[in-house]
Amino acid sequence: MQKMPKKYYVFFTLPTLLAFVIAFFIPFLAGIYLSFTEFRTVTDASWVGFNNYILAFTDDQNFINALIFTIKFAIVSVVLINVFAFFLAYLLTRSIPGTNIFRTIFFMPNLIGGIILGYIWQLLINGILINFGVDITFDASYGFWGLVVLMNWQMVGYMMIIYIAGIQSISNELIEAAKIDGANAWQILKSIIVPMVMPAVTICTFLTVANSFKLFDQNLALTAGAPDRASAMLALDIFTTFYGRIGSEGVGQAKAVMFFMIVAAIVLIQLRLTRSREVES
Amino acid sequence: MSKRSMSLIGILAVLVMVLSAFIPSAPAKADGGELYFLNFKPEQAPVYTKIGDAYKAETGVTLKVVTAASGTYEQTLKSEIAKADAPVLFQINGPVGYQSWKGYCADLKDTDLYKHLSDKSMAVTSGDGVYGIPYVVEAYGIIYNNAIMTKYFALDGAKAKSMDEVKNFATLKAVVEDMTAKKDKLGIKGVFSSTSLKPGEDWRWQTHLANIPVFYEWRDNKVDIASDATKEIKFQYADNFKNIFDLYLNNSVTSPKLLGSKSVDDSMAEFALGQSAMVQNGNWAWDQIAGVDGNTVKAEDVKFLPIYTGMPGEEKQSISVGTENFFAINSKASAEKQKMAADFIYWLYSTPKGKAFVTNDLKFIAPFDTFAENEKPTNPLAKEVMRYMADTNLYNVAWNFVKFPNQTFKDNFGAALLKYAQGNMKWDDVKTLVVEQWKKESAR
Amino acid sequence: MKNREVIRERILFILLLILALLYLFPMLLVLMNSFKGRFYISDTPFALPTAETFAGIKNYFSGIEKTGFLPAFGYSLFITVFSVGTIVLFTSMTAWCITRVKSKFSSFLYYLLVFSMIVPFQMVMFTMSKMANICHLDNPVGIIVLYLGFGAGLSVFIFSGFIKGIPHEIEEAAVIDGCGPIQTFFLVVLPILKPICITVAILNTMWIWNDYLLPYLVIGNNYKTIPIAVQYLQGGYGSRDMGAMMAMLVLAILPIIIFYLSLQKYIIKGVVAGAVKG
Repeated sequence: MQKMPKKYYVFFTLPTLLAFVIAFFIPFLAGIYLSFTEFRTVTDASWVGFNNYILAFTDDQNFINALIFTIKFAIVSVVLINVFAFFLAYLLTRSIPGTNIFRTIFFMPNLIGGIILGYIWQLLINGILINFGVDITFDASYGFWGLVVLMNWQMVGYMMIIYIAGIQSISNELIEAAKIDGANAWQILKSIIVPMVMPAVTICTFLTVANSFKLFDQNLALTAGAPDRASAMLALDIFTTFYGRIGSEGVGQAKAVMFFMIVAAIVLIQLRLTRSREVES
Repeated sequence: MSKRSMSLIGILAVLVMVLSAFIPSAPAKADGGELYFLNFKPEQAPVYTKIGDAYKAETGVTLKVVTAASGTYEQTLKSEIAKADAPVLFQINGPVGYQSWKGYCADLKDTDLYKHLSDKSMAVTSGDGVYGIPYVVEAYGIIYNNAIMTKYFALDGAKAKSMDEVKNFATLKAVVEDMTAKKDKLGIKGVFSSTSLKPGEDWRWQTHLANIPVFYEWRDNKVDIASDATKEIKFQYADNFKNIFDLYLNNSVTSPKLLGSKSVDDSMAEFALGQSAMVQNGNWAWDQIAGVDGNTVKAEDVKFLPIYTGMPGEEKQSISVGTENFFAINSKASAEKQKMAADFIYWLYSTPKGKAFVTNDLKFIAPFDTFAENEKPTNPLAKEVMRYMADTNLYNVAWNFVKFPNQTFKDNFGAALLKYAQGNMKWDDVKTLVVEQWKKESAR
Repeated sequence: MKNREVIRERILFILLLILALLYLFPMLLVLMNSFKGRFYISDTPFALPTAETFAGIKNYFSGIEKTGFLPAFGYSLFITVFSVGTIVLFTSMTAWCITRVKSKFSSFLYYLLVFSMIVPFQMVMFTMSKMANICHLDNPVGIIVLYLGFGAGLSVFIFSGFIKGIPHEIEEAAVIDGCGPIQTFFLVVLPILKPICITVAILNTMWIWNDYLLPYLVIGNNYKTIPIAVQYLQGGYGSRDMGAMMAMLVLAILPIIIFYLSLQKYIIKGVVAGAVKG
């Protein structure tokens, strides 16, 4: 099927292509253009150059704060999620009764939507904090750790499944051979299992970084940025800038373009690291 | 085909069948056309549905009512008005709203409804044009439960003998603090309901309460509120705001550090359940109070007290009567649609059927001469409003908050009040923030 | 030696059991509170219902009424099922076509689609909802087109990765037998793609069923899906009925748990396959 008559090519690609152009391609280009303009609706845009980008930093501290908050959050949750997920995967690949049920339970939160997760945890966290006479809006660090716990609860099961797949792909003979050579469980873990699941580590890091950066629903439901937008992450800050005030749509769009560039940069770095590692091995 | 894929297909088939029952039907186009109304008051959404049915039965016009969630009206209006099928009838919140939406506000000078507006000065005008018609008069103050107050006044050593003696902040403070000390005897958890400071639930403070010092500042400095002089404030009566706000916080059902999770609904429920004796809110709150299960408050015990802040001469201050709800008609809609909108609001406020909805269901005090004395709402708070309005000895605290810069200012102010309540921000910093934010947001 | 291993196993088992209970705890907590009166939830979420605080299933009725849960469920189900079906059908076609027909345009299209995967939704949220309005896609049927367009990147990427591994010979044999491209795809290729179709379907179901911002911006005022209804209950109507909230959380979780438990094996497999490819 190296060659296909044009009409068939059109038949196979047109529906997707059309939807893609409407839902993504035009909005994407229009979004870049609008970030250099001042607008309320699309039709009344007037060119302002880089003004919106400057305003994003100078008008208030919200964008910088959200950026710092997001980076901190991403680092903490990536580390914790992967450590827990690997630990669980390691336990669940040993001969323990009921591993399947455990797997089912640990994975379950992953299917629940972010808005709903946010409210579940709001109830739980406020229920604990009320004993100390405060609530989650008292300090941004409560919101921060609340989000970290929530994100762990949601993502650990997912990552665990990927690690399990990674561990199970290690041949039994290799481990048996090590055992015969007198290696104990710790040595097997350190010298065989961990190096062999490195590809899974790459995947999981990638997924957790991407998800941490783009987090929105959970943030909106759990704290909505309280107190005073101090617990707002990038996606939420962009949303509030955009829809919270008439006249700052352009600034919101400029923030969104920068957000896109940050995410793209992280993905590129990640891909380069993965590629160089693949070359080494 | 394997058994498994058979069962999968089975599941899918069932799903499709279930779905076909749910397939959303497109809204039917009626013969008389459709009128799109973007409603501001979420609590009234079900009433407008009823009104829509009645109006359709009478005129054949379908009323499409969309209601924005609380605190999101401007945001919803912004996205809706840009659409091909934009709202024809919407609302602006006064002169500031008019500035944002003037490109979309049609001149209503010649509409029938405007001709019946009792007090023409209430309308939003610019030059010769009339761009917003107020459709409801409202008032807010401190709502109190007279049964609990009577109980208190009967106690030995009460700081006053009746509510008639509470005519200024000093007396109010003495009474409230004494009540807090005796709250077990009174059977309440706190004198005031929770000062709800959850984001989006803080408008009673950053808008309504803040109006009072701003009103006095502009009155005392003789500021023309139609001029640009309102673009900056000194917040010179900040301490008066602090007086009453501290009183709310320190004599409350809820500890100040927990207020960031409390909503207006929580506070009204506390009042309705008799856990508190007072709550600051407006006459629109009656349904909320009456609608709580296990409500212990009797209608005849629900009264209004002006919000005293320690201003000289406040003995003559009334509750705060005004409006922030103005009908506007989309000037970009077709002439035919615009006429439909004007016809609808005139129908609602002039025909017996429409007026019945306004009075009995919406429970609006309508500012039009089409309403006779016996056509006014009869709920206790509405009666209180009319009682205060009739008392010519008192001066009204006008709703100057319609000149507050914008939602961002209010949100930032509300967030600062929360931090202040939690003990994370000093009062002087709140004051500075208000002055700075006011100037900054006004300049936009 | 054997004995020690048994003991260690037991300890690990108990540890896992505790962890599993901790994992289920938040969901059980919500379930329990959904039976309590609305004023007994925020302040004392850990207290069991008592005679005074027990509200029966009243919260469920008030929640269903306040949020319009039944239509919300209908919209969510309708949008999810038809969007996923559309995505699987059209993106598998596209992926096969651009993988097999090597041309500059094919690879341009492929990279463009892959590129769309890394663009955060906030980048296009405003312009996309405007576009949806101009094209009259702001209704539960039109939104399917948006999901196809926005979900195309990941789905085409996963399909392409799989198709590259299918030997050409099978398709060539079909062509020799007289099949045109359309027959070849639907009769020969699509059956081979079945496992990966399930993967793509599951990944998209998880995304679309739970999606909040896209439907909120595009159709949220007129058609509320479940996440929008839950969020609206929190912010809207000037009131916050915690009892109704708890009941709605339970009702929102329930379908997804049933879906998960009945298709668990496919879901876990699909997620792994999707992650490894993605």
